[in-house]
Amino acid sequence: MENLIIEETKYTPRIVLDANEGIIELKGKSYPENTFEFYKPMMEWLEEYFDGNAPEKIVVNIEIIYFNSSSSKLFFDFFDLLDEAKDEHQIEINWIYDEENDSAEEAGEDFIEDFEDLTINLVSK
Amino acid sequence: MKSSTIMSEGDSVLIHEIEELQSSFDKTTKKLIKDIKRQNKIMTRSDKRQKREYDELQNRLKEVQKLQLAQKELLDSFIKLIAGAIDAKSHYTGGHCERVPQLSMMLAKAAHDAHDGIFESFCIANEDEQRELEIASWLHDCGKVVTPEYVVDKATKLETIYNRIHEIRTRFEVIHRDLTIEALQKKLAGDDESEVDAWLAKEHQELVEEFKIVARANIGAEFMKDEDKAKIHQIATRTWVRNFDDTLGLAHEEKKRVLAEKTTTPQVEKLLSDKQRDIIPREHFDYEEYERMGFKTKVPKFLYNRGELYNICINAGTLSYEERFKIQEHIHMTIRMLERLPFPEYLKNVPLFAGAHHETLIGTGYPRELTKDDMPIPSRIMAVADVFEALTASDRPYKEPKTLSQSIKILSFMVEDQHLDGDIFRLFLKSGVYLEYAKAYLKPEQIDEVDIEQYL
Repeated sequence: MENLIIEETKYTPRIVLDANEGIIELKGKSYPENTFEFYKPMMEWLEEYFDGNAPEKIVVNIEIIYFNSSSSKLFFDFFDLLDEAKDEHQIEINWIYDEENDSAEEAGEDFIEDFEDLTINLVSK
Repeated sequence: MKSSTIMSEGDSVLIHEIEELQSSFDKTTKKLIKDIKRQNKIMTRSDKRQKREYDELQNRLKEVQKLQLAQKELLDSFIKLIAGAIDAKSHYTGGHCERVPQLSMMLAKAAHDAHDGIFESFCIANEDEQRELEIASWLHDCGKVVTPEYVVDKATKLETIYNRIHEIRTRFEVIHRDLTIEALQKKLAGDDESEVDAWLAKEHQELVEEFKIVARANIGAEFMKDEDKAKIHQIATRTWVRNFDDTLGLAHEEKKRVLAEKTTTPQVEKLLSDKQRDIIPREHFDYEEYERMGFKTKVPKFLYNRGELYNICINAGTLSYEERFKIQEHIHMTIRMLERLPFPEYLKNVPLFAGAHHETLIGTGYPRELTKDDMPIPSRIMAVADVFEALTASDRPYKEPKTLSQSIKILSFMVEDQHLDGDIFRLFLKSGVYLEYAKAYLKPEQIDEVDIEQYL
């Protein structure tokens, strides 16, 4: 499966979906004008990926310093996808945030609370 | 199953369908509940973040306002520092840069309050406009930082870095002794002693008188008539003999100028002269830039002419043509300096307001030979303030301060000559600003009775 890379913009994060290495990375800010439109290629890629194209071990690194409400909603959907795939794959999620960024930390805590079966590490830096 | 035996085929299908529906309904409901919970979570988080962001924004705003205030204070202090430096540079101008803003602002306020004639449409709309005016008047003479002190402070005609009258007096001393020697020689040659003594006394007396004429002219207090100049030129023809090499002890620039002339000794020298060496050429002057800046004042050919005769014969005052231009150049520098500063939009008129206070209403001022129409009211206010401060200042060692009535009379002459704006002059009187300023800055003995009616 092809890798998917979306470069960072002022409003959107850099997205790297490395099919062979099993690495999913989101880094930057997330407040696109149309959030679901923006993330659509990523979500479609992931659905196809977990439909038998993903390796056993998968690492997800998310470092979003600023995000709007619809991005929060999308991240829930994203975690739903991971949640569905967790039985067939060993998924490790690193939620990376700056120690002064309370909003990012609290969002990470929300995800842990909602997805108790997923391995979500809060990584402060 | 037991139940299947008492149930019809149809019921069984129906129940199955209901069970499926129920399960699907449960799933959907669960998902909906989960979604609602998530939405609430997102909303709560969002609200919390919004509050945090708003608080942060308020804090930042406060910080920015604090910084802005600090910056404004810094800029104000900086402006006052420059004005203070100029005032400190020459005790001859004393507190000029500090008092002109006070008077300008008093006048501007009076113009703001007046609603007749040219002041109908003039107002200081807000703090920014007031600040623009204030800054312009604080910086109106900022170009003076580059004016040589010896020109600003030139107290006598022969003054360069020092008053050359002492040098000339020494020559008189030399001639005085020469005459004494000549008398002794006459006596040695057998001339009648009492006749020689009488001759010498007369010669000495004449010489002493001639020195007094030169010395008096040097002060520059009286206008030099043609016959005065002729007398100076006649005195200048006296000679003395120089036995020393006058190229020694000079820095290379001066030496170059001196070497261009006759330097052999003994040399018969004129008592007073204009020498080639006294002319300092004008070098590195950017005429193109001068024109581009819109400066119209004619530029003298030489930078300086220190010729003794040339300077002693200055018509009035102590400044030569070249030196007057050098003084006027302060306004060129003021304009250059201010036009180079990146003033924000609300201060963009500072160079215009500050740079036109030596213009007249009829194109005879400097440096741009503007006329009334080119000069906004604040520039015309500053021109009046500049002159009035200079007339009444009591901190200038070279002149007695004028009284209030004398100063206002001089202003009225300048108004008649269209050098100053009559409307502003009359506002100055009618509004009582003249008296308000006088009480604040003039010595009590300067404040005499003024009949303002005669000027209105």
